[in-house]
Amino acid sequence: MDRRKFLGLGLTAAALVPATLSAVDFRETQPKTWEATTTADAIKGLYGDVQLIEESVTIKAPKLAENGGAIPVFIKSDLEAKSVALFQDANPRSAVAVFTVPKGGIIDYGVKIKMRKTGKITAVVEGKNGKFYSKVLPVEVSIGGCGG
Amino acid sequence: MKVKAKLKDDVVKVKVLAKHVNAGPEEAEKKKIDANFIKQVVAKCNNKVVFEMSGSGFISKNPLFKFKFKGAAKGDELEVTWTDLKGNTKSKVAKVK
Repeated sequence: MDRRKFLGLGLTAAALVPATLSAVDFRETQPKTWEATTTADAIKGLYGDVQLIEESVTIKAPKLAENGGAIPVFIKSDLEAKSVALFQDANPRSAVAVFTVPKGGIIDYGVKIKMRKTGKITAVVEGKNGKFYSKVLPVEVSIGGCGG
Repeated sequence: MKVKAKLKDDVVKVKVLAKHVNAGPEEAEKKKIDANFIKQVVAKCNNKVVFEMSGSGFISKNPLFKFKFKGAAKGDELEVTWTDLKGNTKSKVAKVK
């Protein structure tokens, strides 16, 4: 059995095991998302074929990031949401992080991410009303992070 | 790991600084280390999950997470736990100030 198949089996097995923490582990429940190379595929892997509405979500990130190894990204929204996902198209794989919004949670997340080159950051908010909201923001990177 | 939680106008602002190499497969190969990154972060306060995130190797080294939540008073304990790809976990309890 080659290594790739073996890893694949491991992922399937992990998906069947209930999460040890009470939380949702998107790495285990949605393994396809994390392997996707494009943002569109990653969104498809996570949420399925959905229509994205470009409103009600804001991303704050530097226009020009000097250090691609740590780009501060802030996602904000006033929507009632179930989850928030963050993607970019500069790295080998697209998905960066998925946040689960707890009941009554405030969507105001900040995280530092890596980008190999200039690219676009996409945030998708899964609303409680079943609609999906998104925002795309281009970021210029002068020195690539993530081993680039 | 460092955790700071500050209460202001009903909203608790939290900053979490985790110490971790956070290297994806490509980066690990270049640095000749094993790929390992924080795959999940969970924060609990008063037995309620207030923050949870599934991560990837594209979150920066020694990552910094910021989030806000409601429904805590001064002195409440906030417990932040991360789990990485190799199954290591680390927890830290901080009081809401």
